[in-house]
Amino acid sequence: MIAVFGHAVTRRRLSFLMWSIGMVLMVGLLAVAFPAFNDNSELDSTIAKLPPSVLRLLGLAPGAAFTSPAGYLESNLFANVLPVMLLVFAVGFAAWTIAGDEAAGTLELLLANPVSRWKVGIGRFAAVTVTLAGLSGVCAATLAALAVPAGLDDGLPIGHMMAATTSAGAMAFVFAAIAFAVGAGTGSRPAALAVASAIAVAGFVIEGLAEQVEPLRQVRRFSPWHWMFHADPIHHGLTLGSWLPAVATAVVLAAAGTIAFVRRDLR
Amino acid sequence: MDDTAIATTGLTKRFGKVTAVDALDLSVRPGQIVGYLGPNGAGKTTTIRMLLGFISPTSGGCRVLGSDPARDTRPRRGIGYLPGDLRVDPGMTATQLFAWFARLRGGVDRRGIDELTQRLDLDPSRRFGTLSKGNRQKVGIVQALCHDPEVLILDEPTSGLDPLVQREFGAILSERAARGAAVLMSSHVLPEVERIASHVAIIRSGRLVAVSDTDTLLDRSLCRLELRFGGDVSAEALSGIDGVVTVDVRGPHATVTVDGPVGPLMREASGLHVPLLRVRSATDDLEDLFLSIYDKESVEGRQP
Repeated sequence: MIAVFGHAVTRRRLSFLMWSIGMVLMVGLLAVAFPAFNDNSELDSTIAKLPPSVLRLLGLAPGAAFTSPAGYLESNLFANVLPVMLLVFAVGFAAWTIAGDEAAGTLELLLANPVSRWKVGIGRFAAVTVTLAGLSGVCAATLAALAVPAGLDDGLPIGHMMAATTSAGAMAFVFAAIAFAVGAGTGSRPAALAVASAIAVAGFVIEGLAEQVEPLRQVRRFSPWHWMFHADPIHHGLTLGSWLPAVATAVVLAAAGTIAFVRRDLR
Repeated sequence: MDDTAIATTGLTKRFGKVTAVDALDLSVRPGQIVGYLGPNGAGKTTTIRMLLGFISPTSGGCRVLGSDPARDTRPRRGIGYLPGDLRVDPGMTATQLFAWFARLRGGVDRRGIDELTQRLDLDPSRRFGTLSKGNRQKVGIVQALCHDPEVLILDEPTSGLDPLVQREFGAILSERAARGAAVLMSSHVLPEVERIASHVAIIRSGRLVAVSDTDTLLDRSLCRLELRFGGDVSAEALSGIDGVVTVDVRGPHATVTVDGPVGPLMREASGLHVPLLRVRSATDDLEDLFLSIYDKESVEGRQP
């Protein structure tokens, strides 16, 4: 299993490096730009006039100031850019692990070796998990390094930034698990990508609309986006609710996908 | 427990309404090289994919080294597999691939790899994506053979190899078989099987039509000869000869199919009014082989 895991991580190392550089640049720019927004009350009053669903999608709880460190990071990073970046990286990798490799014809040669499909499934999903955690770690480390010089620590514990990063990573983990499970169960990479992306986009839109459309509030309870927003880790820190439902769901999905993979015919 | 390395009993695979492999009973013993012969789409690759557990039989079953390949992955340590359509990550070098597979197989003797790459004249330091078709095939052969497996399952192993390398590959397989390896190699070309295999199993439309040792099969099949004479000959002069089934004459060229020994034809043809200049065996057509087997079986089958 370690050989499978190692090979998968090695295969993705260049991609991981590129994503890490992008992550450092993006988070770094955000942090450096913060002093220009800090305590700009004019901007705050303008933003306060936006409709609630837009505020929700910007990641602003009603009454929260856009120009406070928490509001700034939430609306520019944790509510949108960071989850989407982590999600795209992890979903792409997860769709490759079984389905992409199978479509390329390279999976079969691996499975002719004395390694069970269980080990291939688990080893490769572990590779997705570890690289996703690594990329989240890069974000957290960049924030931790720049928070004090940029003044982002004004009234916002660094631990809460770490919690928000963890929560975003956990949410992306669910979508990675969806892509993995669909790919492992069907052997179709396009299906894996399509299902995971469709659910992710739908979840994001529903999260915004649910502020005004009552019936959607029932639906969004099943959305990883809602789990993340509801736990509000930037204000409340690392609660169980900010990561446990997402991680548990992802593990169940990955297990189901692996079981389906073990039982089906290869393409 | 018998000593059969590969055994299938009533092995059947259906894809929807299509029966790709139909009630196949096939066995390969240690020391045998069985050529698995059939036209494209006959079910050879489907059989092989079941033997490796990539797909499960619809009914019937197979055992490789005594266990069900779909349930038990341990026997794969003793299996070498070469896919018909070899795909390797293009950025990987052969050396990296061999090292990775060695880890998965619990260690492989480096000398085995070095010996094979030398004999096949393969540079293992190049990335797979930059290799020619023949060199890619060599990578596939080395990874299939390097851990000295007891069972070799090879899907169209010589495709893309030049004749010199084909010969070397045939020699390697014979050595392995002499040391007790069981080899199943599929092919759709008769001469390759004729040269390498000790036994032949012929499959057509998913059904096994003949299994025998290679010489018996070739003796049994019609022999097609191309004769060239020093002048025009008549079909009548050849058609009455013992064993001759069909004659096709075009000027000094005659194509004759013979059932059984070719001695009488040779004797008669040498005594004609025009000299016999050349004889060429043209029994390399798989379709001819099928037809001869089929014709005989359908004739035998029709008799009460």
